[in-house]
Amino acid sequence: MNLHFPTAFQELTPQLLKALGVVASLTLAGFALALVIAMLIALGRLSQSRFLDRILIVFLEIVRGTPLLVQLLYVYYVLPELIKLIMRIWIPDYQLTISAFTAGVIGLGINYGCYMSEVIRSSIAAIDKGQTEAALALGYTNRQAMWNIVIPQSFRISLPTLANYFIMMIKDTSLVAFITLQEIILTTQSYASQTFLTIESYTLAALAYLILSIPLGQGVRILERRLNRHV
Amino acid sequence: MSNPMIEVEKLHKSFGQNEILKGITLTIEKGEKVVIIGPSGSGKSTLLRCLNYLELPTAGTVKINGEYFVEPGKKYNENHVAKLRTNIGMVFQRFNLFPTMTALENVMAALTKVRQKSTTEARQIATRYLEKVGLADRMNHYPSQLSGGQQQRIAIARSLAMEPEAMLFDEATSALDPELVGEVLNVIRELAEEGMTMVLVTHEMSFAQEVGDRVIFMDDGLIIESGSPDQLFRNPQHDRTKTFLQRLKH
Ligand SMILES: Nc1ncnc2c1ncn2[C@@H]1O[C@H](COP(=O)(O)OP(=O)(O)OP(=O)(O)O)[C@@H](O)[C@H]1O
Ligand SMILES: [Mg+2]
Repeated sequence: MNLHFPTAFQELTPQLLKALGVVASLTLAGFALALVIAMLIALGRLSQSRFLDRILIVFLEIVRGTPLLVQLLYVYYVLPELIKLIMRIWIPDYQLTISAFTAGVIGLGINYGCYMSEVIRSSIAAIDKGQTEAALALGYTNRQAMWNIVIPQSFRISLPTLANYFIMMIKDTSLVAFITLQEIILTTQSYASQTFLTIESYTLAALAYLILSIPLGQGVRILERRLNRHV
Repeated sequence: MSNPMIEVEKLHKSFGQNEILKGITLTIEKGEKVVIIGPSGSGKSTLLRCLNYLELPTAGTVKINGEYFVEPGKKYNENHVAKLRTNIGMVFQRFNLFPTMTALENVMAALTKVRQKSTTEARQIATRYLEKVGLADRMNHYPSQLSGGQQQRIAIARSLAMEPEAMLFDEATSALDPELVGEVLNVIRELAEEGMTMVLVTHEMSFAQEVGDRVIFMDDGLIIESGSPDQLFRNPQHDRTKTFLQRLKH
């Protein structure tokens, strides 16, 4: 059996680079959304409202109890239909389509937002109550104490874990292939099926992920060391 | 007519079913130094924490400089409470410095955030108060790089920088190694000499005797007895005070 790495490299790499761009922007947008969702859920659960806490727990159970792939399919195929169904009560010929990219951002954002909310919530809960009290005694309002004193400290605790979630998300963007987004896997698949260079193509695809994840993983370790310097 | 610094009236505080403060009425004049003593669990810290509303009273009122934290019949207003708190500094047993900030940043934080001072002005003020507690040379150290005594002095500087009219000390030296107690007491003593209104919870009886204008003995959520240090330590009137002071000697 002959391997044709030079050919595969020459032909597939330009396509993979483009796909890498898609993966990068999908991850950046998805992670930004996940952070916002995670923060909202964490603060909601730490608020005084028992009711809000219950609702959020149910939401978390649903998201954590179903596979990310199912959620992506749901956001891409089902969600627009549901919204149309509801909107047509008022606007008879309401239309809605969302792109695979948007669906990917929403799906990844919600899924990761739920997992990351627990990281943020526990890191906020881990901050000594004395920190808030010292701030309040100095005249901070509760909100100021939370945002200026507690959250920055909790962020240091959660940053390495969140960074690992970021790297995980890069890898999980491969699932967005199932909703037709031309990312690394779909690009590789179509090239491999045209050329039958299966081994070469998928090896290159794996390398494409490693190019992103290995340096980032190193970065997280350095970050962790720097953050722990004074605490 | 005198214009008291702190006025506490019929103060009650419960945690769940547990009534910790059972009706405290207390007036603290400007410049007065009041020391609170009493057995563990008698409610000293809880009372102190009610004085700046870190703990919300279950009933009763607290006034600072004639102003209610929460006026009777009115609703709790967070901004008003926060504003009143800037008039009273509090020093905690466990310092509670912000660990991710240097000493200087610790003292500057509330000046910029709460007092809305510019960074330049905040740095000037902070430096002045760090000098006052003798730690200007440590201003770029993080709390973890400082001894307990130094941390507590930074915490005092942080409170003083807000230029409060009164200071609350909750066992400011009891988390310290014995050899570090003195440097913190010196700072507090100096503050007392400058005329700062102070309420101190302490187990340092000789210090209480030295700086206190009035000593209050608390037990089981009530003020049992209060008087000048001489009177209370040499000639206590109540059995419970006698028993408490007796036990301290051993
Ligand atoms: N947040 C709280 N929730 C429930 N109970 C509390 C709380 N804070 C204090 N207590 C209880 O109130 C009682 C009085 O506590 P407090 O800390 O005021 O006593 P203290 O006189 O300062 O004692 P010590 O000398 O040990 O510091 C204790 O029995 C304590 O368990
Ligand atoms: Mg106490």
